[in-house]
Amino acid sequence: MSTVNPPKEQNLIEYRVDRILEEANTDTRIVVLARQDGTLDTFPIWVGAAEGNAIKLALDAMITPRPMSHDLVKSFAEHLNVTIQRVVIADVKSSTYYATVYVANKGVERTIDARPSDAISLALRAHCPIYITQDVLTRRSTTNLDAWLAKLESKNIGTPEVQET
Amino acid sequence: MFDPYNNAYIVVLRDEEHSDMLPIWVGKSEAGAISMAMENVTPPRPMTHDFMKSFLDAYNAKVISVVITDLSEHTYFAKIHLMYEDSEYTVDARPSDAIALALRCNAPVFANDTVITKQSSEELEQWLENLKPEDFGKLDS
Repeated sequence: MSTVNPPKEQNLIEYRVDRILEEANTDTRIVVLARQDGTLDTFPIWVGAAEGNAIKLALDAMITPRPMSHDLVKSFAEHLNVTIQRVVIADVKSSTYYATVYVANKGVERTIDARPSDAISLALRAHCPIYITQDVLTRRSTTNLDAWLAKLESKNIGTPEVQET
Repeated sequence: MFDPYNNAYIVVLRDEEHSDMLPIWVGKSEAGAISMAMENVTPPRPMTHDFMKSFLDAYNAKVISVVITDLSEHTYFAKIHLMYEDSEYTVDARPSDAIALALRCNAPVFANDTVITKQSSEELEQWLENLKPEDFGKLDS
């Protein structure tokens, strides 16, 4: 599905979901990833409210009466005997992160292109590791700064919630 | 359709002859996933059900059909019928996920007879009857 080349293993840093923050005025959520090895470093990803809630449910290990969308993906994997190996946040283009889900069956590995929110939601349910490539980690600081500045600017100008149609 | 009483959306299924209606109450994001597929909107990044389809496509698994099996209060059940390597698999799902996926895979959506008789269009008609003109005003505010 994806044309993204599998990144070299040594360039992957493992992260875990640390917490989900709510940004009330924009109805978005911030998924805060932290380094698995304990090194102090957090990696925030802005996601929609529904996407954030799907991650929160998995993070809190909540059992819902009916399977949620990512439970269904997991269920498909179980039916097809496919293992969800790992998810990798592999690219960032104009403030948008791109993730790749690695799946395997009968010794063959395949990759599926996904939004980080879907990848993380699935990883938490499938209990597989979440990685960020070194390349994305080096390139993110400016991207985040830009995103923050853009947010700050829009607030300071005092024209919130007005969208040109 | 938006339901201001329950702060939810209603997906209205119609049978082929347009005689029977089957309303299904779903959440906002679930309704969004269904209407995007109905309107053939291609988002810049794959949405959850596009990802779901990519997953099945990667393994050549085909959605043959989805069946809404029960819509009693608090129990919304559907089955997704998959064909993979010459075997058929039946996967339990919420009707909203099943419908969102079926629309993307061009698979037919069925409802069990029992669901239709149980539900008919009673609830929807009742809901429509209860609507007051003010309710429409509320939506704009």
